[in-house]
Amino acid sequence: MTPGLLTDRHRYWLLILPALAVMIIFYIWPLVNILGISVTEPEPGLGNYALLAESRPIQTSFIITFRVAAITTVFCLVLGYIVSYAIYNASKRGVGLMVALVLLPFWISVLIRSFSWIVLLGRSGLVNDALMGMGLIDRPLRLMHNEFGVLIAMVHVMLPFAVLPIMANMKGIDRSFVNAARGLGASEWTAFWQVYFPQTKPGVLSAALLVFVLSLGFYITPALLGGGRVLMISEYITYQIQEFLKWGTGTMLSVTLLVATGVVILAAARFVNLRRAFLERG
Amino acid sequence: MTDSVDHEFRRDLVEVAAHRYREGRLTRRGFIAALGALGVLPMMGKGAMAQASELVIVNWGGTAADIIKEVLGDTYTAETGVPVVIDGSGPSAGKIRAMVESGAVVWDVCDSGPGSAIILGQQGVIQPIDYNVVDKSKVIEGATWEYGVGNYVYSYVLASNPKMLGGNTPQTWADVWNVKDFPGMRTFRKSVRGMLESATMAMGVAPEDVYEALGTQDGIDAAIDKFRQLRENIIVWGSGSDSQNLFLQEEVSMGNIWSTRAHLLKDEMEEGSFTVTFNGGVLSPGVWVVPNDNPAGTEEAMKFIAFAQDPELQVKWLELIGSGPANPAASPLVPDALKPWNPSSPENLATQILYNDEWYAKNQIAAEELYVDALIN
Repeated sequence: MTPGLLTDRHRYWLLILPALAVMIIFYIWPLVNILGISVTEPEPGLGNYALLAESRPIQTSFIITFRVAAITTVFCLVLGYIVSYAIYNASKRGVGLMVALVLLPFWISVLIRSFSWIVLLGRSGLVNDALMGMGLIDRPLRLMHNEFGVLIAMVHVMLPFAVLPIMANMKGIDRSFVNAARGLGASEWTAFWQVYFPQTKPGVLSAALLVFVLSLGFYITPALLGGGRVLMISEYITYQIQEFLKWGTGTMLSVTLLVATGVVILAAARFVNLRRAFLERG
Repeated sequence: MTDSVDHEFRRDLVEVAAHRYREGRLTRRGFIAALGALGVLPMMGKGAMAQASELVIVNWGGTAADIIKEVLGDTYTAETGVPVVIDGSGPSAGKIRAMVESGAVVWDVCDSGPGSAIILGQQGVIQPIDYNVVDKSKVIEGATWEYGVGNYVYSYVLASNPKMLGGNTPQTWADVWNVKDFPGMRTFRKSVRGMLESATMAMGVAPEDVYEALGTQDGIDAAIDKFRQLRENIIVWGSGSDSQNLFLQEEVSMGNIWSTRAHLLKDEMEEGSFTVTFNGGVLSPGVWVVPNDNPAGTEEAMKFIAFAQDPELQVKWLELIGSGPANPAASPLVPDALKPWNPSSPENLATQILYNDEWYAKNQIAAEELYVDALIN
């Protein structure tokens, strides 16, 4: 082989070849098989996909999934914005510590974080015990095994994904615009809402997209804290495959969830710079 | 092919064994044997290397492999000189069939279920039980088939926490559906297995008529509707340990759980805060089957099955992991303290019905979807 044949472009391809091969063998190929099973079992055709229109539990499960993801996103954005704003605009000294506190949960597995919520929210958990001890309630509140418990835990798990893009965005904002607005007589609120907030919009939108998309595929938290009644699609897929042995339906749901997620991302691409949202966060 | 064996129950028995080990009720050796039989420890290929002079017993790893090995296996070896090897790789109907069809049979006696025994028998891949060797009278009524014979039993039972209910415990499934007099959350299995029966009985159907009532779509719909009515008070359990935790954490005041888990809970919960009633319980047997052309030969396999009918050995199973004896003669030997917890005691048998595999083979999948719908929609 003469060196001339190997252009730079070819060399780059060679570099990513191992990673690409791993992706194709362990990701793309199984995914193609999933797609294949969804149109061949139990019989060839689109019978499994017809269930999307026919099966009430499947429709409900999709509605639950999107509802839980949407509510989680809203709460994460509000809380994440406040946290980020506090980190960058309140105290200069505490920034390092506060960022560390945001990142800390990232190092603990979702499973453990979800289990901790069981300890806190249970019928005889810390929260109920404390409230009863203070005499505020006389019987335990139902804080988990319902959608409320799932939402609390999901907001907790997802919060860093909202904080990081917003924080990265706020980092690049020049305070002098707000100061100028204040100097020109704007109230604190007007200066924030008309000058500062519009500049943080890209961060907010990437955070929204990130949290929403990740929430759609959530499994552990709703399975542990939902009591079986907050049946999100991921859990329903395991139901189909493990309990009912209906691989056709299970794979159909996987493909549908994948497509739905893709549609959300494509739609969001009109408003969000995807490259920035996914590749340059934090 | 429908494989109606409840694999999850058998896997759950592994966890029960692990639990017993932590409590110090199983020896370390016993526990390691159990893990080995499960396939958790690298003991693969043991079954494949079995010689004709050995007997290979196949279970799900969970039927307290330590008991099979130490109690059944070692005692059998002591009596007959035939070494017993335990293979815990899970003899699903599909695997047994594939093995027999491939012509390389290495299993002698397998722990299966009634549904599989019937289907595999029809397909001609397992041997009829030789009731000249195996004693039919040593098996509870309804747990003998042409191609399989009961080896232990477990039940879906009504468990409750008297402390949370002020001592007023539910005695029937109708009580479980009575939220006013019996407050608190209930737990039911994530699957319809053993659950639709209780809903049907709660409507006043006599236990013996339950599967007849569930034989029509109206009957199934009515049972499903009962769950829809109760769903605000339902937390589902997925695994056996889920059901145990829900009681331990006092998340539920009652529920429909496996008798083997109840067996653990009675020792773990405070005095007076856990009880079960077998009234309206659903009893399900584990079943021995013997594949065609098993290496040790038909006679040896049948001899082992007959040996395992020994009532004293079966009482040990009950003491260790809560699986009830399949041999009615074992009941009087059960220590008094354990009698109320024995799924196959005469008193408890009288109030239970037998799990109907044929019904599940026919209706389960459709019912599961309706059940999920009732819980979430």
